[in-house]
Amino acid sequence: MARIELINLNKSFGAVQAVRNLNFTIEDGEFVVFVGPSGCGKTTTLRMIAGFEDPNSGEIRIDGRVVNDLEPRDRDIGMVFQSHALFPHKNVAQNIEFGLRMKKVSPEERVKRVREVAEMMRISHLLDKMPGQCSGGESQRVALARTLVTNPSTFLLDEPLSSLDAKLRRELRAECDRLHQELKRTFIFVTHDQEEAMTLADRIVVMRDGEIVQVGSPMEIYADPVNYFVADFFGSPSMNLVPGEFVRTGDGLRFRSASFDIALPARFETVSPGKGTLGIRPEHVRIDPGAEDCVHLTVRLIEPLGKDTLLYFDVPGDRAFVAVREGLHMTDVRIGQPMAINLDAHCIHLFDGEGRRIAVPRVA
Amino acid sequence: MTAVTLPTTGGSVRASARTVSRQRAIRRFKLVLMTPLIALFLGLLTPVLLLQLYFSFHEWTVYLGSWWDAEFVGFDMFANVFTDPRFGWAIVRSLAFAAGSTIGCFLFGFLLAYLMYRPFRGQAIYYIIFILPMLTVPVVVAYTAEMLLYRNGPINDLISVLTGTNFQVAWLSNPHLALATVALLEIWNWTPFSFIILLAGLAAIPKEPIEAAEILGASKWQIFWHVQLPLLRPVILLALILRFLEAMAEFPKTWALFQGGPGTATETLPIYIFITTWQYFQISKGAAMSYVVMVMMVGIVLFAIHMLRREKRSLDVMYGTAAGNLE
Amino acid sequence: MTMTKSRRRRATTIIRYAVLSIWAVIAFFPIYWMVSTSFKPSTQWFSWPPIYFPDPPTLSNYMNVWLGAEEYDQAQYAISSQKPLISMWNSTVIATTSTFLSVLFGSMLAYGVSRYRILSEARMFQLLMLRMIPPIVVVAPLSLYYSALGLLDTRIGLILVYFLTTLPYAVWMTKSFIDEVPREIEQAAEILGASRWRIIFEIILPLIRSGLVATFLFILILTWSEYLLALIITKTQVSTLPIELSKYQGSTEGRVYGRQAALAVGITVPLMIVGLVIRKHLARGFSFGMVRR
Repeated sequence: MARIELINLNKSFGAVQAVRNLNFTIEDGEFVVFVGPSGCGKTTTLRMIAGFEDPNSGEIRIDGRVVNDLEPRDRDIGMVFQSHALFPHKNVAQNIEFGLRMKKVSPEERVKRVREVAEMMRISHLLDKMPGQCSGGESQRVALARTLVTNPSTFLLDEPLSSLDAKLRRELRAECDRLHQELKRTFIFVTHDQEEAMTLADRIVVMRDGEIVQVGSPMEIYADPVNYFVADFFGSPSMNLVPGEFVRTGDGLRFRSASFDIALPARFETVSPGKGTLGIRPEHVRIDPGAEDCVHLTVRLIEPLGKDTLLYFDVPGDRAFVAVREGLHMTDVRIGQPMAINLDAHCIHLFDGEGRRIAVPRVA
Repeated sequence: MTAVTLPTTGGSVRASARTVSRQRAIRRFKLVLMTPLIALFLGLLTPVLLLQLYFSFHEWTVYLGSWWDAEFVGFDMFANVFTDPRFGWAIVRSLAFAAGSTIGCFLFGFLLAYLMYRPFRGQAIYYIIFILPMLTVPVVVAYTAEMLLYRNGPINDLISVLTGTNFQVAWLSNPHLALATVALLEIWNWTPFSFIILLAGLAAIPKEPIEAAEILGASKWQIFWHVQLPLLRPVILLALILRFLEAMAEFPKTWALFQGGPGTATETLPIYIFITTWQYFQISKGAAMSYVVMVMMVGIVLFAIHMLRREKRSLDVMYGTAAGNLE
Repeated sequence: MTMTKSRRRRATTIIRYAVLSIWAVIAFFPIYWMVSTSFKPSTQWFSWPPIYFPDPPTLSNYMNVWLGAEEYDQAQYAISSQKPLISMWNSTVIATTSTFLSVLFGSMLAYGVSRYRILSEARMFQLLMLRMIPPIVVVAPLSLYYSALGLLDTRIGLILVYFLTTLPYAVWMTKSFIDEVPREIEQAAEILGASRWRIIFEIILPLIRSGLVATFLFILILTWSEYLLALIITKTQVSTLPIELSKYQGSTEGRVYGRQAALAVGITVPLMIVGLVIRKHLARGFSFGMVRR
């Protein structure tokens, strides 16, 4: 059982405020992912939960009990580090056994539990090896096993997969998911990789500059980003964000930029005119010459990904405008070819001058 | 854990009782780590320094009864020291000796390091031979020097054979040469020190800037002057400073070989203090002299430390050990 | 460019080997002379012209000096009061004990500095003063203080002084090794339930053990060859090898170079072995860990 409450947490390193007035509760058994660009305070938050950093002010409670004053070892947590942090001078079995030894578990019991955990993590064949002899993926499995064996109520994972290559990362991601299903413990996972966050989390906490920007399920975050930053951060390829202006005309509100001039759906009727940004995910860009109110853009680059093909269009500014087409439709498109595109009206996001989403009730 | 603190209000938080106790545990841990150092300072260093202060202001020699009854003489001892020309000359000799041997060590050490920092056949053997002098006990250096340097000794003989002259330098008995002889021994003894430090420094310079300079058409000399030397600056300063300070303290070779002689030719500061204290038994004058030297050295060392601190930072950058990277 | 690249390279190679070889001779010759003299019979100690190769080599100097075996040579060269084996024992005990204390407590201090900042950077540099100010300036009061405490002419007295004077090296050098241990490894141990002391003794010290060995041997070199403090603090009961060697200088029997050399070789060989074992770490040691390799 572990319900973790973070109350008004503040932490600064010298002049840098790493975490600012953070309030958040992690429910028991939940898989929460803290995500954000580097320097956003996510790792500091995790390290405060672990007890490696003391907050300047604020409270951390585990199951209602204030733990600010507890040593990390007394908090009933396990932690997996980015560098896996295995003890290089101990073999794999001794590494796994360490936590049990610290808890004064009897030798017979230790052997038994080490064997069980090794089986569970499929590393039985490594037990006699030194960490230096293990590959990156194996090391991370050992690190997980070393944490598992002590059976903590909460697992803290600090970018555990970011030092691995893409294939191993997917494999271990599935492993983390499986462990969470089986153990039903609280998992707090820190990453800068939005894909990891999307696939693993029950709830995602998006952080930026020491503050929480948005909390929600992966789908909520994806479909309803609260601001420009979140919209941009999640999704691959990321959302098309076109700076421009909202203009009121005779037949309703329109969005205008150097290359766009489109009518906005009726649900945005209350939006006040002025500078802003239009956002649309690439999968919601339709290539449809027949549609009314379409925009003509020139293809700059075609990127076949196998299942899909990405089309990059020329627009002014430093980012391209991207559309996704299913399949490998390369024969009918050429670079330099102008195309008519049309935006799915249900899926348009608008952000005001400060980057905040302009919240309008969704049309069903 | 039985103590569970449940605060009544959620928001505002003060340091709770447990925080204090955890912090106290850390403080206690730190204190225990510090204990040996504190004990040595209080038990050994402080009494010795206080005793020395006492003697500087109370006239006492071993012939004058109990030292704790010694007569207070104010600054007389210091006046005595400052008007003693032998002391002045000792300062001059020490500085000359330290400067000369430091420069010698540096030049030879740098030459060798520059010739050796890139791998070549036989590098390991040369390295081993070059560090041997440093691994010779200083007193042994002195006595071996005596075996080598007497008038008809092997060094003069070898130089005679090699140059075809009758080379007969009185290394050990010529007062004009004696200090230079010790300086040469110091250079022989400690060139390895400059050598290994500069070698490590040269080897640690990343290859990329040098290769980039080469591709941009820089000559070896330009690369040395514009790339390697600036990058090596902290290491060079380190080698110079540490060597100079050690040379200021040099005692065993000078003492074992010359005891300050011939005449007063090799009477450096350590030697003169030693003679005053342990041959003339003028404890108080020795103490006052020691204090003057100590103040002088503290000045030099503080300056050296100021330089070292600055250069240490560049070194840390060079070796990529920047401390405390968060996130 | 007049010279081709390969010719120029060959020229540099030749110059390099020439310079290095000259210095190698300069560095090695005195050591060779000491060793060869130790094997010379007394007639060849300072004959003219000098004899470069002992002929015939003899062990009598070693027998006489180390074993007190006077019958191996003329009696007038024997110095009966010498006790080199006892001095060697003294040197060994004093050097290893003080070095052990210095490295043990120095490494703990270094850990505290590295992780808990128990000494600020300024304090760490001030610690260097212990090493940088010539010890001669305190030896007189030290000797009086020691005589009051009854520590004069004892091993413990010398051990304590060496402990103090080598502590800066121990702290700085071990700190440079500890700084290289990733902090996450300690934190992993901490969160698995290890206490602060256990982290030091079960994680940190074993992890840097090659560094500890290097530090230990490095400080051993310093304490083994120390002369001034030993000269002041030891009198008759306890003497170390450098002091024993210097006794030959004052002897009335004249210059006994062969004996001196035999003793000198005995003092130097252990030091050279130790030094060569840690040759890769010498730069780090002498520079207080500021220069790494």
